[in-house]
Amino acid sequence: MKTEEEAIADAMAAHVAGVHPGPTLGRDVRRRHRARVLRFRTAGAALATALVAVTVPALINSGEPPKAQHAATGQDQAVMDLVVVPDVVGKPVAEAVQTLKQAGLVVEDPETATDTGSVRVQAPAAGQEVTMGTNVQLTVGREPSVPQDLGDLGDGRKLGGIHVGYLPDGLEWGKWSGKNGFGKTSYTTTFVEPGQPEGYYAVQVVVFAGEATKQVAQRLVRFSEEGAKTVDIRGKEAYLADVTEGGEVASDTTDNSEGSTSTIGWTLRKGLAVEVFISPDYAKKVDAAVELKKIAEGIEPVK
Amino acid sequence: MTDEDETAFDEFLAARSTSLLRTAILVCGATHHDAEDLVQHALEKVYRHWPRIRHDNPEAYARKVLVNAAISRARRRRVVQEITFARPPDTAAKSPDLDLRDTLIEELRRLPPKMRAVIVLRYWEDQSESATASLLGCSLGTVKSQAARGLAKIRERMTVAEGAIR
Repeated sequence: MKTEEEAIADAMAAHVAGVHPGPTLGRDVRRRHRARVLRFRTAGAALATALVAVTVPALINSGEPPKAQHAATGQDQAVMDLVVVPDVVGKPVAEAVQTLKQAGLVVEDPETATDTGSVRVQAPAAGQEVTMGTNVQLTVGREPSVPQDLGDLGDGRKLGGIHVGYLPDGLEWGKWSGKNGFGKTSYTTTFVEPGQPEGYYAVQVVVFAGEATKQVAQRLVRFSEEGAKTVDIRGKEAYLADVTEGGEVASDTTDNSEGSTSTIGWTLRKGLAVEVFISPDYAKKVDAAVELKKIAEGIEPVK
Repeated sequence: MTDEDETAFDEFLAARSTSLLRTAILVCGATHHDAEDLVQHALEKVYRHWPRIRHDNPEAYARKVLVNAAISRARRRRVVQEITFARPPDTAAKSPDLDLRDTLIEELRRLPPKMRAVIVLRYWEDQSESATASLLGCSLGTVKSQAARGLAKIRERMTVAEGAIR
């Protein structure tokens, strides 16, 4: 019989056999590098242009009588054609390029400008004042778009038959939703801090209906055995635990650097259960246990 | 960067990028796309410092950036879908070996990111305990304990799988 070291090595080798990087890897890496360097250059260019701007009136006025001369002030910079950079993050590339063009800006890199996908990052950022004709660097995301199984949820607080009455201040809907990712029937969405990168979250809510509610009931039993704390949520018993990625309660001896996710879960009524988690990042900013309890207490079934 | 630097960088990519991508897939337990993104991120850092580091083990540098980025990403991503571990009851195992491999990869995915990284570096890449510790920026003791605990979990799983086959 194989040892477990050999068995796992064998399984890992089989799992990645046949995996090769795409043929454009070298180009992609250099493009990424250029994107980074260009951002610095853009910043440098803006500074240089501003300096030119203040010297221009002096040149124009050099033959004029002295009364026309005036000191270089902030106002002189208004001589320049400044434009406000529009927000194109999330837009398809073609639309973003068009919007930027209308604002008087350009996307110089032809590969980017003709790319398919949507804009993940833009530099300079939306709202900044830059000179007309400035190159805008776009980072294009080719990641398959996140599921939108439940469509536009507005503020995102109503899904799968519940309403989220309380959320920590400053969070907004993560603009996606999934169905049946956590068993049949389940619904999920996240709430994010404004400006958080795509794919990250602050608070995630999962609603379990029908068959899927069993998972929460089973976890309540198992987590209690594993030492999780239980709390009362509107008369129902809920588990409140730090759960590892492997779905176990993190023990006190667990190395903190392994990371675990603060989670609360309970059954609202027959056929309806909810789990809420706070991301490890966000947990550094708030008291996760306190916030989870507050969020849970604010969740009510809706018709 | 001189032309010679550029050529050397291309040679480095040709020689090492497949292995880096495979490590990324195993460590972040995620999709090919995510892994490729991580590899590009690591290689951009290598490229940025290439003239300085090309003669000083650029691969170790790339691997360090990659593994740490993979761990941190695995930890912070939201969960779109919970990985289901149970084989649906109506699909029979094709062969015991295949079944065991699938089971082991699933088990690997279930490990906490850092523990998974230790297993990948130690048993797939065959790195020594001290090299693993230096790549992950942790102590030798952590590598030993994480490897032992990861293997213990996998052993449990193998016992269950073999029981099921018999």
